[in-house]
Amino acid sequence: MKNSAVFWALFLQFVKFGCFTFGGGWSIVAQMKQLYVDGEGQSALPGRGKLAAADLLDLTSIGRSLPGTMIGNIAMFYGYRVAGFWGGVACVAGMVLPPAVVLAVITYFYTAFREALWVAAAMRGVRAAVVPIILSALLGMLRGAFRYPPCLAVAGLTFALYSFWNVSCVWLVVLGMVLGLLICEFYERKSPDVHSA
Amino acid sequence: MFTLLKLYWSFVKIGFTSFGGLSMIPLISSEMISHGWMTAAEVSDIVAIAEMTPGPLGLNCATFAGMRTAWLPGAAAANLGVLTPTLTLCAVAAVFFEHFKNSRRLAQVMTGIRPACIGMVAGVLISLSQVNYFEGAHVSLPSLAVGVLDLVLLIKFKVSIPKVLGLSALLGLLLFGGLGL
Repeated sequence: MKNSAVFWALFLQFVKFGCFTFGGGWSIVAQMKQLYVDGEGQSALPGRGKLAAADLLDLTSIGRSLPGTMIGNIAMFYGYRVAGFWGGVACVAGMVLPPAVVLAVITYFYTAFREALWVAAAMRGVRAAVVPIILSALLGMLRGAFRYPPCLAVAGLTFALYSFWNVSCVWLVVLGMVLGLLICEFYERKSPDVHSA
Repeated sequence: MFTLLKLYWSFVKIGFTSFGGLSMIPLISSEMISHGWMTAAEVSDIVAIAEMTPGPLGLNCATFAGMRTAWLPGAAAANLGVLTPTLTLCAVAAVFFEHFKNSRRLAQVMTGIRPACIGMVAGVLISLSQVNYFEGAHVSLPSLAVGVLDLVLLIKFKVSIPKVLGLSALLGLLLFGGLGL
């Protein structure tokens, strides 16, 4: 297969994935599992691009722990694996296109209709749902977030700095990195035989 | 042109310091409000719209904010910004994939970043609550009731987010449009 044909196939495949990603990127991971791990459905690249379940898990965990959107990272990794850097770019571009188009249309109408009374009323209801949605996601994040007791203090500290002193998020993430290194070094030296929790 | 660069740069910052999903919200919120591109109420709207439509939250916020600020070129600039870590850092990581997979340093750094993100998200929850459940100095009881109902549906009955948002929109129409509360 010619290189350009591979890029095109990857692009189209990820356009398809991109159309069905409601509520975060996890549905793309599920779609990739069906297609590349279980081999269900028609792959755009027959005979190429298969993944073992463990590979997909690795892609996902690294995609999650690097900055940026998880699913963009996973698309980049997957494309790179199959067809090098430009394969990765093709996957990312394909994945981004459908949500960008949908959102551009919605934003256009939001801007045009924002003043309409009934839209404003519906949006007030929707706004009331945003805090519970973030709260439930936050509760989901709590699991595994506090590997060592001082991590609780890190959360308290960033909360205070963000809320009361308006410290920029960029600095708070850097602070989290430094404290993470310090905390881990401290605990790993204290009990070197304990692996990750 | 200057606005496009500023948009791009804002979303580069957001991209590089966010680690998946809703941990982006504190950054998006402070960047948008400090530049005067959005009000706190509009930040809530993006979160809701982004959750209702396909695509990851970060990209949807980028499109929304970019469109609101500078139309299609703005959306392109913002999307490119939020994808910059993926196109740079992640491309490098892909080359050293095996090395990154079990990197101890990465695990250590994440040990600190996860709780830091939780702290920031908790902070943004408070500031969004002030916008969404208050009218001036008074608590808006209908809004609060919708919020509590949604929380129960989400946590207790595991109702999916698009459904919760649809229901809330209907309740909003009924309470604020129909009854005029």
